Amino acid sequence: MSRVLEVRNLFVDLPLPAGMLHAVRDVSFHVERGETLSLVGESGCGKSLTALSLMKLLPPRAILKAQSIVFEGREIKDAGEAEMSAIRGDKMAMIFQEPMTSLNPCYTIGNQLEEALLEHRKLPRHQARERAVYLLEKVGITAAASRLKQYPHQLSGGLRQRVMIAMSLMCGPSLIIADEPTTALDVTIQAQILRLLAELQEEFEMGLILITHDLGVVARMADRLAVMYCGQVVETGTTAQVFAEPLHPYTRGLLECIPVPGKVEPGSPLGSIPGMVPTPIGELRGCSFRNRCSLAVPECAEQEVLLRELGPGRALRCLLGGEA
Amino acid sequence: MAEIILECKELRKTYLVSAGAFKGKRPLHAVNGVSLQVEAGSVLGLVGESGCGKTTVAKLVLGLERPTAGELFLEGDSVKRLSPKEIARRVQPVFQDPYASLNPRKSIAAIISLPLRALGVGDPATWDQQVDQIMEVVGLPPRLKYNYPNQLSGGQRQRVAVARALIMRPRLVLCDEPTSALDVSVQAQILNLLMELRRELGLTYILISHDLAVVEHLATRVAVMYLGRIVEQAPTAELFGRPRHPYTQALLDSVLTPEPGLGLPRTHLGEAYPNPIDPPSGCTFHPRCPRADHRCSQEEPRPMWDGDHLVACHHAEGT
Repeated sequence: MSRVLEVRNLFVDLPLPAGMLHAVRDVSFHVERGETLSLVGESGCGKSLTALSLMKLLPPRAILKAQSIVFEGREIKDAGEAEMSAIRGDKMAMIFQEPMTSLNPCYTIGNQLEEALLEHRKLPRHQARERAVYLLEKVGITAAASRLKQYPHQLSGGLRQRVMIAMSLMCGPSLIIADEPTTALDVTIQAQILRLLAELQEEFEMGLILITHDLGVVARMADRLAVMYCGQVVETGTTAQVFAEPLHPYTRGLLECIPVPGKVEPGSPLGSIPGMVPTPIGELRGCSFRNRCSLAVPECAEQEVLLRELGPGRALRCLLGGEA
Repeated sequence: MAEIILECKELRKTYLVSAGAFKGKRPLHAVNGVSLQVEAGSVLGLVGESGCGKTTVAKLVLGLERPTAGELFLEGDSVKRLSPKEIARRVQPVFQDPYASLNPRKSIAAIISLPLRALGVGDPATWDQQVDQIMEVVGLPPRLKYNYPNQLSGGQRQRVAVARALIMRPRLVLCDEPTSALDVSVQAQILNLLMELRRELGLTYILISHDLAVVEHLATRVAVMYLGRIVEQAPTAELFGRPRHPYTQALLDSVLTPEPGLGLPRTHLGEAYPNPIDPPSGCTFHPRCPRADHRCSQEEPRPMWDGDHLVACHHAEGT
């Protein structure tokens, strides 16, 4: 396997009237070809901003700092707009949550699909069109040639998300970033779209970063995962490891919150995490989870909690436990 | 047999929608002959894909829409004879998005007490006290009483919505996707609250959700809707354990439980959800059904009861 992306010590700060919001704090991860890494967490944990900073699509005021962001062997940490727009949509593509807002309602599907190839590869239009038809068929859209003339509003949600996937594949990317790709879809369509994504990923040997809050999706799709809380990675490991033996109290809490048929007695109280996610503004000290954690001890507030390596690919940001 | 708190008989709601410029209006049968009974103290889960008519059923139950045909009884009285205010006394809603369903310019106390003021219930001098009581019941700290919705978290806002629904002491609460807009950890808090309140206050719920794990956890009975019709209905354990309609089976197969190593399910629902303006002939599910034959495309299946398990399919499992 070859490494598609390696991110080391990524920080994203957002200046707000209330102070500096430390949205992403010291996040490191890597993705191999053909591998799925999932960034899991609740809203506001910094998972989407992490994804946007890889594409350099952060809001203009945001401040990005990183030790390194290496994509396909190339350092892109300081890449400018010209260099990034050559990569974006070509070798690194993104699939967003809501296909209705990420497709332009004024252009046909065909126009939007062909754009990336015309832009990046300077291909003649008929070749771009051939590729568009090929990929629409690949993502399971029937009568692909006639679909090219349709506008986004003429398609259902599931079809639109298929078009988004086809669009991300136009230039043959090596990395796909999917931000909540199925959250807006019905369960039956969700399973189909995820299956499609997994099959295409295998066929084209792409790295996939899957950003989601849905632990069911993570369990079925991801090879490895990084659990994020309040801008930090709090636990990493293979999917099997983390689900079988969650070490961080937050991960454990999250897993207890969801009713699992056959494991949780119907009607019995679900585990829940008291309190709410703090906003990481201003000076931060100690563990961000300590106020909601039932195991917290005084040291949790005093010292900086570091991400400790427990084994290959397995890491934990917690003072307690992890020896198991 | 327990008291029937809500009964629908062949309930229909048809909207006239424009089929396109110059084409005139065409009927859309959003709810197409739904019959249901909800026993006091039970939780009826209503599931189905978007566009299946579950929210229209909710609007009919709440009296926000009047049925085109059929009858709806609340606590034994036909809603035709009930005024909107009387309906509101008996059934109250909790909606999906607590960001949209609370008036941003009213304080929490004003939001919660609105049903009392609107219906003029009891002595105005006691309203304030009732607000305090209900806030305690749903676990809202008293200091939030004069705050505004934007100062509250998503979970707290949903508690406000629950408090507003309960202040009239209705016996039936209609929860339309009560936790879909919430984070996982907050979702569990609200689900626990709903279960606790049901036990303590003897409430009856209609729970509309696309999250089948949530429905399985809370509901005592589940009805599966497809294109305005109920295609299967049974006690929860029975429906999840032995689904008989191919659509229910496909829905259940599609659920991604957090169990690594199982991979992604293969569903046979190849076709997209049909356009409700132009429903397929015969059994409306036949274009997506693996068991469909000639008869399914011609003849609409009649709902058949087997004990307390209802299924509408020519090829139902186990018949």
